[in-house]
Amino acid sequence: MNEAAPLPKGNMGEPVARIDARLKVTGDARYPADLPVRDVAHAVLVTSPIARGRLTQLHTEAARAVPGVLDIIAAGDVDGELERPQFGNSGSTSIAPLHDRRIWHDGQIVALVVAETFEAASEAAALVRADFQAEEPSSGFGSPGIEIIPAAGASPLYPENPEAGDFDAAWATAEISIDETYSTPTQHHNPMELFSTTASWFDGDVTVNESSQNVTGWKNTLARQLKVDPEHVRVVSPYVGGAFGSRGPMTPRTAIIAHAARRLGRPVRCVVTRKQAYTTQTYRAETRHHIRMGAMKDGRIVAFRHEGWELTSRPDNYVVGGTGTTARMYGYGAVETKVSLVKADRNTPSYMRSPPETPYVYALENAMDEMAVALAMDPVEFRRVNDTMTEPIEGKPFSSRSLMECYDQAAEAFGWNRRTRGIGSMRDGDWLVGMGCATAVYPTNVAPCTARVRLTADGRIRVQSGSHEIGTGIRTVAAQMAAERLGAPFWSVEVEMGDSSLPPAPVSGGSTSTASVCSAVMKACDAIRARLFHAAVTANDGPLSGLAPADLGIADGRIVAGARVEAVANAMERMGVGEIEEYAEFAPEGSSADAIANLYKGKLEMRMGEEGAKVKYAFGAEFVEVRIHRLTRETRVSRLVGAFAAGRIMNPRTARSQLMGGMIWGVGCALHEATEMDRHSARYVNTDLQDYLVPVNADIQDVKVILVEEKDTDVNPAGVKGLGELGNVGTPAAVASAVYHATGKRIRDLPIRIEDLL
Amino acid sequence: MTAIRSEIRFILNGEEVRLAEVAPDETLLDYLRLRRSLTGTKEGCAEGDCGACTVLVGRLTPDGLVYESVNSCIRFLGSLDGTHVVTVEHLAPVAGRLHPVQQAMVDFHGSQCGFCTPGFVMSLYALWMQDPKPSDRRIEKALQGNLCRCTGYEAIVRAARAISSYGDANDDPLAAERAEIAGRLNAMRDGARVEIGTGSKRFFIPASVDDLADLLETEPKATIVAGATDVGLWVTKFMREIAPVVFIGHLDELRRTSEKDGVLSIGAGVSYTEAFRLLAGRVPALATLIDRIGGEQVRNMGTIGGNIANGSPIGDTPPPLIALGATLTLRKGRSRRTITLEEFFIDYGKQDRRPGEFVEAVHVPLPAAGSRFAIYKVTKRRDEDITATLGAFNLMLDASGKVEKIRIAYGGMAATPKRAHAVEAAIAGKPWTRETVDAALAEYERDFRPLTDMRASADYRMLASKNLLVRFFLETSGRAAPVQVGRYEAA
Ligand code: FES
Ligand code: FES
Repeated sequence: MNEAAPLPKGNMGEPVARIDARLKVTGDARYPADLPVRDVAHAVLVTSPIARGRLTQLHTEAARAVPGVLDIIAAGDVDGELERPQFGNSGSTSIAPLHDRRIWHDGQIVALVVAETFEAASEAAALVRADFQAEEPSSGFGSPGIEIIPAAGASPLYPENPEAGDFDAAWATAEISIDETYSTPTQHHNPMELFSTTASWFDGDVTVNESSQNVTGWKNTLARQLKVDPEHVRVVSPYVGGAFGSRGPMTPRTAIIAHAARRLGRPVRCVVTRKQAYTTQTYRAETRHHIRMGAMKDGRIVAFRHEGWELTSRPDNYVVGGTGTTARMYGYGAVETKVSLVKADRNTPSYMRSPPETPYVYALENAMDEMAVALAMDPVEFRRVNDTMTEPIEGKPFSSRSLMECYDQAAEAFGWNRRTRGIGSMRDGDWLVGMGCATAVYPTNVAPCTARVRLTADGRIRVQSGSHEIGTGIRTVAAQMAAERLGAPFWSVEVEMGDSSLPPAPVSGGSTSTASVCSAVMKACDAIRARLFHAAVTANDGPLSGLAPADLGIADGRIVAGARVEAVANAMERMGVGEIEEYAEFAPEGSSADAIANLYKGKLEMRMGEEGAKVKYAFGAEFVEVRIHRLTRETRVSRLVGAFAAGRIMNPRTARSQLMGGMIWGVGCALHEATEMDRHSARYVNTDLQDYLVPVNADIQDVKVILVEEKDTDVNPAGVKGLGELGNVGTPAAVASAVYHATGKRIRDLPIRIEDLL
Repeated sequence: MTAIRSEIRFILNGEEVRLAEVAPDETLLDYLRLRRSLTGTKEGCAEGDCGACTVLVGRLTPDGLVYESVNSCIRFLGSLDGTHVVTVEHLAPVAGRLHPVQQAMVDFHGSQCGFCTPGFVMSLYALWMQDPKPSDRRIEKALQGNLCRCTGYEAIVRAARAISSYGDANDDPLAAERAEIAGRLNAMRDGARVEIGTGSKRFFIPASVDDLADLLETEPKATIVAGATDVGLWVTKFMREIAPVVFIGHLDELRRTSEKDGVLSIGAGVSYTEAFRLLAGRVPALATLIDRIGGEQVRNMGTIGGNIANGSPIGDTPPPLIALGATLTLRKGRSRRTITLEEFFIDYGKQDRRPGEFVEAVHVPLPAAGSRFAIYKVTKRRDEDITATLGAFNLMLDASGKVEKIRIAYGGMAATPKRAHAVEAAIAGKPWTRETVDAALAEYERDFRPLTDMRASADYRMLASKNLLVRFFLETSGRAAPVQVGRYEAA
């Protein structure tokens, strides 16, 4: 037992090591660009150097003359062959780079060069010349030419702004109020694995190898774009080198590469450079916030207003819409919210780890800290005063809410009682020490899912579900669920995922995977149990004959009822079968009758945490200690403690790892991560890992994750709340409050820069 | 006349490779992945930033066979002549048992998505072979060049601490094979110059420094590549044509160092890692700085000579070397000249190096007894980050407490590494007091006009740079404990 594998508390599974760890440490785990493909041609993207205007002419003669060049595909070459991409429903954008000559953003794809070798394709791509009719672009907030529209109704995912009571009246009664603005920057996911697509056709069927969080959705989307029946499309993504939302929606490149392979009659692979990924993939939109919060002197909040502005592209209304969460976080009294979209000449943003919560909860939790200061209250006590078991918008109860338990456990481990209140009152030599805290929250979403489980007489189990191992450990926990339900050792389970030919699973996004996949696996396993139990009790003889199925259990390869046992293998022999296979469809409570049929068609019906009779959220509390140098203002995070409650924890080892990784993301978000923009050209400037600063090992000092015991039978059959996107939500605001505590500077705009602290 | 060979030879894992078809800019990573289907080595950036492509390169040194971690994405294949390349595939399980490094990574949950994992395994492997019971600081150094976007690193650090409890480094295959591999590498040394390719695809591996000098006389426009930490990027990131290329990283003569009359002479081919060892006891401040340049892989590959010759305005070593009064030996053919380091930097991207000339050595006067020398580097992220500003200070006081000599140089504040002449003039000869320092601060505006970029604003650079002088004063006047900007060690 070591630190990485914490002892399970109540309602937690075993901390087994991940099922694919061995493959990963030996380099044998094959990511899509690792797969050997015979006779593969290499493709390189040519992208636009302007952000707005029209492509007037493309000069490809020099490029075509490069030895080894096989094909160049550009605007106009796909007419009639490829459908336009669509935004939403597993598509990242409606920008159709090879259908239109319109340039919507810098770095937009304008052509694809295919050659025998990667070198030849790169060399030729550099020789493609394009003429443009350039127009002045609007880069984002504050630029001339932007368009601002209400978010409510602009996207089906954001029908209305949540509100309750009469904000204005309540605001007028407040004894203490704050009225502040906050902002968060553009960020890029930057998973370690580069983006790539490999497409091969055989006999009218296409196989696409690409890291994906949604193979079933992509299969259907790709089929539509390629104008073929989905039966002829297979998307394979066995291992994914990090995703964080970036591989959720399919980008237009995928169909373009598949089309290039069809045109050429030979497999094509395209590995996108890190720089090009900044504009041909998605990103986290920058946001701005205006918060008004009114409270009484005893600390009760009576009025809360959260207005947000979010950047999106000209053609697509991507809505972040985090007010759904912030409006339900505390017992506020009256609530008013409003979200607007700011449309600029940019590529379309999309989901990035806790898409709504990261920016919106950052703003809210900063405001909470400001209010605690204004009230001269301890920030933890201020949250306790406003903790609630009923959310304020519709007055629904939370299915479970262990927020204050998280605060108490984390505060204790952190040593919060050692904090002295005065600004700059804690020092260590030339370092100013600051301590802060903030709430982490993530809705417990769940989605329809299917799975197939097979148990063979020799005790081996195979689980199949078209979910995705993006690093979370979903293979591992699915195996644990099957092992537990079928009374078999963990090592006897094999899990197949990441292939659209498997029973479909939802997008691995919105922290739904563990809950959805485990619920489906559980259902399939229970059907196998039912068959076994039925055989055992209806047998003419045998130890379990005549018992009620409800009295039976299963453990260590045996069916058990008190002292009476029968080996599973015996029961199967009795049934005259060598294996039992069950396929199960799980549709969450409240799903439509078509939920499963729609899942097969790639249309996802996710049930959100706010839906249903009870509101379902996972909570956590994060505490941060920062050290800021008196002279240079260099800022280091010296300690982090987070306590999280997320229902049943399938595996404390993988759960802890997710939460820890998330907290470190939060540190990056607080101090480093921002995609900078040259406003004049609407172009990203720090498009590499040298200048886009993700945390490095030396940034990470002392991190502690506490898993708080919690049981919630309402969320889903597995009792699981997703936690992959919980850990990073509270950190940035906790860092900002710690910085305030150390320096008295309230930094409302992320990331916190050294120059802000001078 | 030197013999000419038209192929390169090296050992890849267990196998001897001879290649005649090599492009000057072909990277080791592309060779491994595309030509050899050794896909355990990953590509995460192709720009030397992430460490996913880490492999080990063993080379014969006067001290025997040494293995170091390198970034295969910016290491040119041609430069591997005479080396042993070890990839993650070489750590295959023996009788089903994982290698100790790998088992520790499994048990401590060092991977999530796993994409970074082979790179971490190789970095940890190099560390473990050099230091089976590493300190936390050593572990941190070894992992500086590896990024992980998933785990938050903690698990990997714990795995690193535990490796030796899974096996003995002396039992490791690379340790057991050492003599045999060294013998094979030795047998490959034929004293020949390597010439491969024609026209714009040519590259050379000179047989000796004299051969290099001759070669540059006939190929004055050639790109000289030592560690490839800069030139690798010219190719993978900026798509520049670099041929013809001359590789010099293998030349032991350029890796020599000597000390005479208080001046340390460092061959241009000495890597940062080697320089660190050399300087640790002599100029600790400089050694500490080198510790923060790039990651371990970059320090193993990059050379002091290269850092100088390429003249980056944010190169970290020139400012302290200027403050120490370093000089350079430049060689062309049989003739040599020596100039001060500051003279060498003419303007942005422009150095005083003539066609056919190369940097042979840098000579560093060691700080005199009684003098005070300090370097401060300011970055956003602590490690593996480009400098916002870096100041180096070299001070000598006379018996009365007056400033007898002061040299100050900065990086990140101008188009080249630059000396603060006006600031120095305002201080020299005066008593070393807060008043003197405060009065000198105004002179910064005369010496520097920094730019705003995404790393820092001009105002921040100016203010932080001034503060560095104040900090130097406080530290040297006994009014503040030396400040090491870095990891806070919890009590
Ligand atoms: S691939 Fe990132 S350092 Fe080589
Ligand atoms: S485990 Fe995903 S990048 Fe390290």
